[in-house]
Amino acid sequence: MSLAIQLENISKRFGSVQAVDEVSLELPEGSLCGFLGPNGAGKSTTIRMLMSIISPDSGVLRVLGGSALDNKDRIGYLPEERGLYRKMKVGEFLWYIAKLKGVHPTGLTQRINDWLDRVQLPGVAKKRCEELSKGMQQKVQLLSALIHRPDLLILDEPYSGLDPLNSRLITELIRDEQRRGATIIFSTHQMHTAEALCDRVLLINKGKKVLDANLSQLRAQHDGRGIVVEPAGDPQAYADAALAAGFAARAESTHKGLVEIELRDGIGGNEALNAALAAGACRAVSLRRLSLEDVFVQLVGGSRADLHADGGAADV
Amino acid sequence: MSNAKTVRRSWWSRTGTISWREFKHTALTKAFFFGAVVVPMLFLGVGFLVPFMIDKNAPPIKGTVAVLDPTGKIAAAAQHIIDTEGDTGLFGDMPAETQEKIDTAVASQGGGASAMLAAADTRSEIDLTWEIYAQEGVDGAPSIDALKDELKSGNLVALILVNPNGADAKATAPNEAGLSIFVPTSSSPKHQRLIGRAFETALQDARVQSLGITDADFDRVRQRPQAETFRISPTGGEAEEINGARMLIPAGFMFLMWICVFTSANQLLTSTIEEKSNKVMEVLLAAASPMQLLAGKILGQALVSVIMLVMYGGAAIAGLTAASMNDLITTSDLILFALYFIMAYFMIATLMVAVGSAVSDLREAQSLVGPVMILLIIPIMLWLPISESPNGMLATIASFVPPGMPFIMILRVTAANEPVPMWQIIASLVWGYGAMFGMLWLGARIFRVGVLMQGKPPTPKELLKWAFVR
Repeated sequence: MSLAIQLENISKRFGSVQAVDEVSLELPEGSLCGFLGPNGAGKSTTIRMLMSIISPDSGVLRVLGGSALDNKDRIGYLPEERGLYRKMKVGEFLWYIAKLKGVHPTGLTQRINDWLDRVQLPGVAKKRCEELSKGMQQKVQLLSALIHRPDLLILDEPYSGLDPLNSRLITELIRDEQRRGATIIFSTHQMHTAEALCDRVLLINKGKKVLDANLSQLRAQHDGRGIVVEPAGDPQAYADAALAAGFAARAESTHKGLVEIELRDGIGGNEALNAALAAGACRAVSLRRLSLEDVFVQLVGGSRADLHADGGAADV
Repeated sequence: MSNAKTVRRSWWSRTGTISWREFKHTALTKAFFFGAVVVPMLFLGVGFLVPFMIDKNAPPIKGTVAVLDPTGKIAAAAQHIIDTEGDTGLFGDMPAETQEKIDTAVASQGGGASAMLAAADTRSEIDLTWEIYAQEGVDGAPSIDALKDELKSGNLVALILVNPNGADAKATAPNEAGLSIFVPTSSSPKHQRLIGRAFETALQDARVQSLGITDADFDRVRQRPQAETFRISPTGGEAEEINGARMLIPAGFMFLMWICVFTSANQLLTSTIEEKSNKVMEVLLAAASPMQLLAGKILGQALVSVIMLVMYGGAAIAGLTAASMNDLITTSDLILFALYFIMAYFMIATLMVAVGSAVSDLREAQSLVGPVMILLIIPIMLWLPISESPNGMLATIASFVPPGMPFIMILRVTAANEPVPMWQIIASLVWGYGAMFGMLWLGARIFRVGVLMQGKPPTPKELLKWAFVR
């Protein structure tokens, strides 16, 4: 399969700040890749280099087999900084962007109306952008990245500022675009979204790539050897019983009434489940899986609070 | 792989799309229509209509004028002047030959100009009865106080008291008032002037006669002789000095260029700042290169500028044609104007768009635009000295300093009766277009970096640094 994106040791420095440091990536066509990293990690700079908005200081960069400048019409881009012409009508704005992206005017008005219907914004084509709510504006901007049916879709924080219903709508759109055959790369702080959507994740921190893996590989690599039990009785009593039974190296009750158990070496999955049921009455027993958020915190080494920081320092 | 029906486009196609948006959102708006079309038209319309309105409102002068004239010469002469000349003297102290030209123009011109001239030549309806007395209280003449009472009660429109010695030039000082005029408070200033001028003229004629000079002789010496001025250049060329009307042509050219260039350049500044502050810039840069964006914006506003130029310039030429003064503009003036206009537009537009890309709001732009504006106000400040001496050292030096040089050069080439040396015109065009391309390159480099920058506005040193970073 040919590559949609190919980065070889690209670097970018702004004054004394090394924004991106020797980052490499090969992304096959049709992939859906989550681009993760804390604020100021260099995600937006990498994306801007992908878009040829800025040039790398060093390294090789190929997008859709060539330069992004040559392939602008095949790329859809939603920048982190949302922007619309305030006085322009929605339909006119989408028409303008579509024209810039080389869409033939024939049938364009109908296409714009179809897209607006699809994102539950029927009849707003005649409204000025400034008349829309923030969430509506964001959907219009997403449409401006999709209107020309791009082969490569680059979305910088597409979920930022959206309510759960609109987030779900955007997720459906992204999945539809992938099914259509588009390659998608999106940056996000929402780990659960990336976990649910992506088949590949790229994590960068302080300009350096710290993780590049398929989600399944990642789980195999990082999943802890543990189970989670929801006891029918007192969690602390169950934790003590589990330790006494000998299959648990460590057992801790949580504030949610669960008991997290780390298995002793040599204890297999089935053996652990049987032992867990024998240790006391249980409502539920499951294998504990490491979340993407856990991996993120583990690799980045920051606090979980960073993950939820909203709009702190701007990405470089 | 793409399902989109796309068309293969050249670099210029995308630039054209950007240009059209820029043009459409500037020129095809209500604000532009009112600011650039309706308001100037209103001014023109008011200028055109005022004379007609004045004509309609000109009040008639009717009633009785009482004159106490001990000389026995002035009242009758003044009455004759008013009866024969009416209020044509309201053109002020205009020389008789000028009045004659206006009358000829009114008779010969068609269209709006003649209508305006005709309308301006207002003549009040005059229906006066004269009561002329030699001396108060003698031969049934009322007293001065009684006449003033008549005036107060509205039975007289004016009371004139002639100085007994007023008609004798040797018996009165040159600046001594020869007569007094009394009018009611409701009297029109126009009527006061009508009566005042008639009596002053009659008094002047009487004084001339008292010296034994005939009116014809007096007219011969009354007009001050005018000198004809010629300029002789070092190369031996000789040209008649330009007159007042001709002085306005270079100013017209320069201000037309200034207004058209600055209206568009200012739009470029504000639209660039708007795109940056609205965060649309990155969306645009995802669809077009910075060079395409810059070129599209500048060319779109150029079209706006050209439209204004055609509109205002066309109106000016139509005005000159209506007044039979179109010979004041030559074809070479128009060609040079076009060349210098292009130079001026691209220089100023580049400066403005570069500044707009570097800042986040208009307030920040002020500090960077300020020095540029000072440079550009220089042509306006130097308009008169350069018009008076278009080949002087000041004019020559200023016409080679960008970005004000195109404004200075158009002043010079249209002002000078003694032509600007051809080598200077060619040199200014070569140097000016070179400087223009240099500024375009520099502005494009700054724009490329500036559009993505946020935060505090850059210093001029930082701007230069942007121009030379990779």
